[in-house]
Formats: sequence, structure tokens, C-alpha cells
Amino acid sequence: MKRTKENDFIIRPDDLILVTGATGFIGSRVVRILLNRGFHKIRCLARPSTQPSKVAALRNQATGPELQLFSGNLLSREDCAAATKGVAVVIHLAAGRGEKSFPDAFMNSVVTTRNLLDACLGNQRLKRFVNVSSFAVYNNAEKTQGNLLDETCPVEMHPEARGEAYCFAKTKQDEMVTEYGKEHGIPYVIVRPGAVYGPGNLAISGRVGIGTFGLFLHLGGSNPIPLTYVDNCAEAIALAGLRAGIEGEVFNIVDDDLPSSREFLRLYKRQVKRFPSLYIPKVVSYCMCHLWERYCAWSQGQLPPAFNRSRWNSFWKKTDYTNEKLKERLGWKPVISTQDGLQSYFEACRAEEGHA
Amino acid sequence: MLRIAIVGCGKIADSHASQIQRIKGCEIVGVCDREPLMARQLYERFPVQAYYSDMTLMLGESRPDVVHITTPPESHHDLARFCLESGCHVYVEKPFTLFEHDAQDLISLANERGLKITTGHDDQFTHVARRMRALVQSGFLGSGPVHMESYYCYELSDTGYAGALLGDKQHWIRRLPGKLLQNIISHGVARIAEFLTSDSPEVIAHGFSSPFLKSRGETEIIDELRVIISEDSGATAYFTFSSQMRPSLHMFRIYGKKNGLVLDHDQETLIKLRGTRFKSYVEKFVPPVIFAKQYLGNLRTNLKCFLARDFHMKSGMKYLIESFYGSIEEGTPVPIPYREILLTARIMDAIFAQLDPKHSQIREEIPLQSLSTS
Repeated sequence: MKRTKENDFIIRPDDLILVTGATGFIGSRVVRILLNRGFHKIRCLARPSTQPSKVAALRNQATGPELQLFSGNLLSREDCAAATKGVAVVIHLAAGRGEKSFPDAFMNSVVTTRNLLDACLGNQRLKRFVNVSSFAVYNNAEKTQGNLLDETCPVEMHPEARGEAYCFAKTKQDEMVTEYGKEHGIPYVIVRPGAVYGPGNLAISGRVGIGTFGLFLHLGGSNPIPLTYVDNCAEAIALAGLRAGIEGEVFNIVDDDLPSSREFLRLYKRQVKRFPSLYIPKVVSYCMCHLWERYCAWSQGQLPPAFNRSRWNSFWKKTDYTNEKLKERLGWKPVISTQDGLQSYFEACRAEEGHA
Repeated sequence: MLRIAIVGCGKIADSHASQIQRIKGCEIVGVCDREPLMARQLYERFPVQAYYSDMTLMLGESRPDVVHITTPPESHHDLARFCLESGCHVYVEKPFTLFEHDAQDLISLANERGLKITTGHDDQFTHVARRMRALVQSGFLGSGPVHMESYYCYELSDTGYAGALLGDKQHWIRRLPGKLLQNIISHGVARIAEFLTSDSPEVIAHGFSSPFLKSRGETEIIDELRVIISEDSGATAYFTFSSQMRPSLHMFRIYGKKNGLVLDHDQETLIKLRGTRFKSYVEKFVPPVIFAKQYLGNLRTNLKCFLARDFHMKSGMKYLIESFYGSIEEGTPVPIPYREILLTARIMDAIFAQLDPKHSQIREEIPLQSLSTS
């Protein structure tokens, strides 16, 4: 592997960068990082439905006239054409996150990405298209417990079987970007964040456990949780848009010193609030997922296919993670340590609890 | 084998495909969406033979017997008309059409061509709705309905559907003459229409934007609606749509001269209301026991259906689709009488005309004749 130089970037500070999902949890930090690095010509795309407070927060990040706030819908080809006009780098964060319906997630991730890629085709200035994907796309079934999940791991061949709209949409989105790279020469990079946490996203990762059934079922046990603090994640995404010599590469984003699920839950209970939880051993959770999957098939979908072996492998199988490629090729290092990140996250959780 | 096609591959098309694949004797021969990627994603996730972005091509190549139209409401009439003209039976998602005269046009065309058509009022075919219908038909009420109350609520908050709708001034819901209400209320109105005897009931509607919407600067969308419906026979009905009241009810109450019934769609419970009272203090103690027994009976029935693998969230849709296919294959009446579809459309037209006078300007008055042709 080739070690990178500090300012080995593909664009100059006055080149135009488009950030989709710019008012979002990660997007707003990416914009701030780019500004801090001196890239002042940023076009921030946000949906017309974005809350005005989020737009105002973004506007406050820079007083210069070159931070463009662009209100548009990626489902509109006209908006995509206008948004990509003259841009050198596209950082594509907008996605159908939180959608439970497959068609909605697909439309807001895949159709939007296709529109954006099509709009980029005629853009001679484009030097990089950064596609923000997710760990959700990996198929973790074939590896033995405790094996390392890195960028060489296969992605889901049948994402529809996971019963998770987000996984399906993200897998198809990655396929779309790769296809445009191969067939149309779009210079792309794919980044796959793990569980992004921090103030603004206070939910406990499903990799720790689920509270669906009233009692919190702790499923992660001794598994490391692939956390990445939102500022660290944003730093990696920004670098993926800037660094030279990484076309066609995939980068997983996780922090150093990952806590185990058990450790995370213990800290959460100590620092935020106490609640009852029940640890489910892996063999039991695997059997439960298998049984749920079989019942779904037998009953022709009387229960939603929310739990199955594919999801268990992705979420609750013991797996180790690495950020070696991220450090080597992007020159990334965490801006916030996991200890500080968790502290900040727990403080935000406590504040939220105080308001509730 | 009945050959089925689906036009429009958004969220509700998933429910259609899921239920169709549970029905024996039919196959999905094609799915179509103006956006080819949307058609392909449905094709990839369900046993579907082919996908298209051109409906004419699909009808020509796949040769479906029945087409399900699951597009946004503004396209329902034109697409359904095209399918009928192409010789296909049609299942149109709710709301059937934007205006009553469009509904009349489709039904007339279906009758002319010897084809069948229905609409997606699947809530009327859940287990509990069918139990209620059977009780009404058996004379439990002691007469025709004296009064009915239909609640059909929808929770609006800053996230999800409402967030997208409120922030997007170009959202397709805003282009509907009745806007948000037009896309949602037909289920609740159809429950009343089923039991009305008059073809021209009087409709008085009052609608407004809730304080929640106003606080977000929204004045165009009406999300609180109260309607009084009455007919010459003396039967009356209230219809309530609310985005703010809690619980967010989906409930139907029907009262006759002797007894009443309460259907809770969310809990799938049906409760009988006795018309007579017990004497003195007995009225305070015995009815609660009777209600408790009825609720336990509902629990038993629901569990039985669940264990029999017949309690899917969209069980009403499966029953409606199956009944519609049955009516095509066996030449029996359609599951939703055309009169009921037209009456629902007529009541909705009357509501929207009162909420927005512009609605009545584009609506043509068509007498509600030949309603019983089905």
C-alpha cells in the first residue's frame, strides 16, 4: 500500500464541491471540515422539506458568499443538472435513511443516485464522485466468528432477503455507482461508515440490541461495535473527496479502540439512564432469527421479515473491524478519540433525557 | 391461470404483489412504472415475469387479464380507462378517481365492455369488517342504520410523510383537488356509503388546518375534517378525520333501532352494544362483565386467525383481490357494488366542494343513475 502525503489533493481550494444531504447529521460536519480545510466554494444541496433551523445552522458555518445553499430534489433531473453544473467533486450523502418501505428507500437512494450520476456524465470538470454507502451492504455470513471485516469482504448478493429496506437500497446504490464507473468512466470512491454516533443521532445502535419487544434485548455481547464518531466519519468522507490516487476504491470507516457491546451498554446505563436489559447468548439469538425467518416463509409473511440469519450475521455475529486502509490511503486519523466521543454522546443523551 | 399486471411500483404496489402471490391460480406477468428502476426493483423482489416502463408495451406483450393500478390518484382515471379499452379488468387503488364523473365514466365503460372494475377499499374486507357485515345482514341492528360514526385518523408529525409533504410545495398530494384528505378519507367514507340507502344524501362539511400545521406556516392543507351526512329516510352519519386527536382512531359505530355495533379497525375488535338496559344497579355491574367477555372473545378469534396463518396486516386486501378475481372467473357480482363506489365518490366530491369552492367549478354534475349495475 502507498502511504499518502498530507496535501496530495485532486482539487484546488477554489474548485466547486457539491455536498448532497448537506444539512444532515453527517453532511453538515463534512461542509464544516471542507471549509476548515480552505475549500470555500461549496454547493450545499438540501431538500425543500429541510427544516429552516438546519439551513440556518449551515448558513452560520460561513459568512462568505461562496457557500451556496441549493434547495432541490434529487428525484428531479433538472435539479440534479443544476446542482452538478461546474462541480469538481460530488460528495453524495443524501439517502433514504429510516425508510421502512423498500420502494421508498430505493427511490430515495437509487433513483436519486442514478439522476445525480446522469447529471455528472456531461460534466468535464468532475474529478471525483464520493458515494456514501454503509456497513449494511456487507454479507458477513461466510466468515467464521471473530474474523476481520474489511473492504475485501463480499457484499450481499440477495439484499432483498435481509428484510431491511436500507440494506437493499444501499447495495443497489453501490452497484449503480460501480456500473457508472465502469461503463461511463465516472471517477468514484465508495465509503462505508459503520455505526455513526454523536450529538444528533442518539439512538443506541441496533448492533448492541433492540428494544422492540418492550424489554431491551442485548444481542451484541462481547462483539466490538463498529462505531465512528460523526466528526471522524465526516473527516474520512471529506478526505475521500480530496485525496489523489484512490479512484474506484472502497473505504470502511470505523474509529480506533472500539468498545464491546457489553461495555457500551454498561457505560450508557451508568452515564445516561438505567433500564432493564436481557442478554441473549449468540446461539439463542441465532436460533431465534432462524425460527423467525422460517415462520415468515411458512406463514407467507404474517410477521415482517425483520429477523433472519442474514441480519444476524450482519449485526450480531462476532466480527472485528479495521481502519488500516483508511489511515494508509486517505491519511485519516480520528479527530476525536472514542473515549471523548462517547463522553460527548452520553452528555447529549443526558440532555435529551432531561428534556423528555 | 389468471394473468395479473401492476402499474405503478411504489409503496402500495408492494402490498399488492405480496397479497397476489398468496392467491392460488394467478401469476404476475408484468409490472410497469414510468421509472424503469422502480419497475425493476419490484421485479427483482417478487415472482414477476417481466418489467416495463411503457404500459402499452406491457399490455401488448404480457397480455394480462387484470391490471392493478397503484399510481398516484391523479392518473387513476386515464390509466384505468386505457386498460379497460385494452380489454383488461381493473383494480384501482383508492381513491378510485378524483371526481365522481370520472368514476361514473369508468364504471360505464366497464359495463359496456363486459369487464369488471373495483377499488382498493380493503379495510372493508378484514376479518372483523366481514363479521360486522354478517351481523348487520342478519338483522342484529333491528332495522336499517339510524346513525353511524366513522373515524378515520392519520397522525401527522414533523417526520416521514408529513415532513416531506409540508416541506415540498410541489408534492403530488398538493395537486389533488382534495389534497391530503383526498388521498386518505375514502376508506372511512366508504364504510358509511356501504350502509346508506339514498343515492343523494345531504352532506355538510367543516374542515380546517390544525394548529400543528398553522404553527408550521401551512394554510393550504386541511387536516381536520368533520362531516354530517343525512338522508331522507332519517338515517344520519358523522365522519371524522383528524391528524391531531389521540388515539388516532380507525373506528366505525353503527346503531339500529334495537342494537348497535362498534368496530375497531386497529385492534380488530367488534363489540355488540345492547339496546336494552338492565334494571337499576344491575346496569352498573353486568354490562362491564358482558363487555369483558366480548373482548376475550375477540382475543380468541384474533389468535385463532393468527395461528391459522390468516391474520396478515393486509388480510383485507387479499380477501378483496381474491373475491374480485373470483367474480371475474365465476361471473359472480363484484365484491364492492358499483353503487357504493359512486356514492363514496359523490360524498367526497360534496365534501371538497364545500372546503374549496374551486373544486365544484371543475366538477360536472352527473345524475347518480344506474348505480346498481354491477
